[in-house]
Amino acid sequence: MLGWVHANLFSTRFNTVLTVISCALLAVVLWYGLRWFIMDSDWTVIGTLGGRLIMGPYNTEGACPGQNCFWRPQVALLLVIMLLGMGWAVAGGGLMKRYAIGIVAALAAFSLLPYSLDTMGMDVRVLLLANIPALSLGWFLGRSTPLGSARWLAILAVGTFGVTLILLRGVEGVPGMQPVSVNHWGGLMLNLLLAVAGITLSFPIGVALALGRRGNLPVVKLLCVLFIEIFRGVPLITLLFMSATLVPLAFPRDFPVNSLMRAGIVITLFSSAYMAENIRGGLQALHRGQTEAAQSLGLQTWQTTMFITLPQAIRNVIPAIVGQFISLFKDTTLVFIIGMQDILTYSRAFIQGNPEFIASAHELFIFLAIVFWIFTYSMSHISRRIELHLGVGRR
Amino acid sequence: MAALPRGLTYNGIPLWRHTKVIQWVLQVVSGLLVVSLVAWFFINISRAIRDRDIPYGFSFLSREYQTPIGQHFLPYNESSDTFLYAFGVAATNTVVVSIVGVILATALGIFVGVSRMSSNWIVSRAALAYVEFFRNVPLLIQLFFWFYIVLTLPPVREGHIIAGRIFINNGGISVPWPYATSLDSGLLFIGLAAVAVFAGLSVYKALGRRETATGASSYPLASGIATAVIVAAAAWLAVSVAFGESPFFISTPEAQGIFGRPAGGFTASGGLIALLTGLVIYTSSFIAEIVRAGIQSVGRGQTEAARSLGLTYMNTLRNVTFPQALRVIIPPLISQCLNLTKNSSLAAAIGYTDLFNVGVTMTQTAPAVSIFMLLMLAYLAMSLTYSVIGNVYNRLIRFA
Repeated sequence: MLGWVHANLFSTRFNTVLTVISCALLAVVLWYGLRWFIMDSDWTVIGTLGGRLIMGPYNTEGACPGQNCFWRPQVALLLVIMLLGMGWAVAGGGLMKRYAIGIVAALAAFSLLPYSLDTMGMDVRVLLLANIPALSLGWFLGRSTPLGSARWLAILAVGTFGVTLILLRGVEGVPGMQPVSVNHWGGLMLNLLLAVAGITLSFPIGVALALGRRGNLPVVKLLCVLFIEIFRGVPLITLLFMSATLVPLAFPRDFPVNSLMRAGIVITLFSSAYMAENIRGGLQALHRGQTEAAQSLGLQTWQTTMFITLPQAIRNVIPAIVGQFISLFKDTTLVFIIGMQDILTYSRAFIQGNPEFIASAHELFIFLAIVFWIFTYSMSHISRRIELHLGVGRR
Repeated sequence: MAALPRGLTYNGIPLWRHTKVIQWVLQVVSGLLVVSLVAWFFINISRAIRDRDIPYGFSFLSREYQTPIGQHFLPYNESSDTFLYAFGVAATNTVVVSIVGVILATALGIFVGVSRMSSNWIVSRAALAYVEFFRNVPLLIQLFFWFYIVLTLPPVREGHIIAGRIFINNGGISVPWPYATSLDSGLLFIGLAAVAVFAGLSVYKALGRRETATGASSYPLASGIATAVIVAAAAWLAVSVAFGESPFFISTPEAQGIFGRPAGGFTASGGLIALLTGLVIYTSSFIAEIVRAGIQSVGRGQTEAARSLGLTYMNTLRNVTFPQALRVIIPPLISQCLNLTKNSSLAAAIGYTDLFNVGVTMTQTAPAVSIFMLLMLAYLAMSLTYSVIGNVYNRLIRFA
């Protein structure tokens, strides 16, 4: 212990000075931070917003007149948790298990929040608690039915996303499934939906762009370079704002493009341009010998790409790719520019609309920062574990 | 062909399996697809413009803009200045934020990145926490956080005044600032000051070379600074005598009117302060990681060799590690600087009048399509400038 302290804090005179200065600084920061946290901060604004942080204006009278719509996102959540349980069974424990149990425990804990039953009804609490059986059911399905394979999991994931969209959107004429306009979708739900769709779609598009840019077809190469450089050269909010003003003009008048789709498409394309550059970097770093060996084994060009170069290139740039996923998730907050009410926009609008909470703005933004941090940090944590698992840098 | 068995004739590779043919067909098809898609968009847009009487064209640029621009660094008069000039004012606002932000973020990023490598446990952990937190939280949340800090400061009348010169209130921060007395003398002095800096740099370089070559102490840094200061002072005297006025004067903010709003000096609005603080902290957390990766990429042997030659820790860092690390650091650093510039468009959310914000306001009185073309061109031009600077610098250090 003493040896550690000496080696890490007081090894040289300079080091000692550094330790003293940084300790003093930390003490000042902690003193004021803690005093603010204990004495001056007021966190009631988060309790007041409550579920609206998660759903935004989805379950308000304007979105869903005359009935309760909260159960629809909650059922979608149950499906996702079931999928998570199947993933746990397929992966056979490890990281997936820890995350699955952690998420479900947190959700179940939410059902015990000290709200009155008028604010947070029994039905909401029961549906939250139902995540525990949903996880077990998923785990059981994954363990003892043929559904428990990676292929089925992928198919079911796409299916779940579709069902989620239908559940949230509603179906005309079905009782209890009254359509809800996408303009009322909001909160963290919106951020997650956009992020999941964007991540899933931008990856294959990015790969295609990277291959096109590296290929030997001049016309395709030119198109890919143009696409990548234009999308990378312009801020995302410019593109988003353009999608709101220019895209409706670029399609015929009765073309069904709503704001959610527009935001999703723009974020996906923007992200895929960056993704393409990351993957191109991985392809460039690959040794020529890999391609030559594959060719001399008689593999065709597409086989060489699909089985030899691309997997290695992607494995080598996992941190960059996940970094891009993280920035895509962070960028979903920019939909404020086209009037969508994601968690941040909704919270800010709430503060502006209720001046009595203006003093609590800092508490609210710190809370949102922590929420986002939990998601993004988990993503980078998972990425590090995948790298470890694939043995990047060791093989 | 003669080697072929009898009865078999070789007609060449069939057309549908010929690589060259397939490639060309693929290219032509994809090219045609994209071109026709773009053409379809343009036809639709032009039809929409015609049918819905949407204004278009660029004749609005010479009209008067007649809308205030909150914070501006170029002189701006809302009643007489044109759209084109207002666009330039807004672009200058973005460029100023970009340049100041890049300098501060790089300095802070290098500081945090080096701290991250420190052998002192507290320092390296603090740097790690800084990086992991600020990198992983959306910039917009951080901007709002800083913006509301300024917004919840006391109003002008009850604002803080430090030493009677610095005003801090919810309108922003006002500080004393040098202004040119007249355009001619100011510009002349700035030119001469640049000469002074150049002279100082030359002296520093020459003496540094001499010190390296002969080993005699030549005090390059002190002499360089002294040269620059002496030349600048001489220039100041010369300009003052020639024009009969000092080229710059310091304007101090003073409380004016019944509200005590500070006039004079330089006032940074809440939006500008929040934008710079947020951008610098956010970007520096990325730069810190780049710097760390760069320093780590220099082999241990280099440091050990330098130390065993008797170089001090700082000398090793400055003359051995850093020059080599720069090769790895520069390309991603340039792309971060570019990101900072593009991220500055988030100013629209906190009311700083940058290029994008003014552009969006302009769409209310001018054709949106044209303004977006201008905006895209402006941002693409900035990206291009940054990548050209980056590539040139990259080439310089590679063959140095």
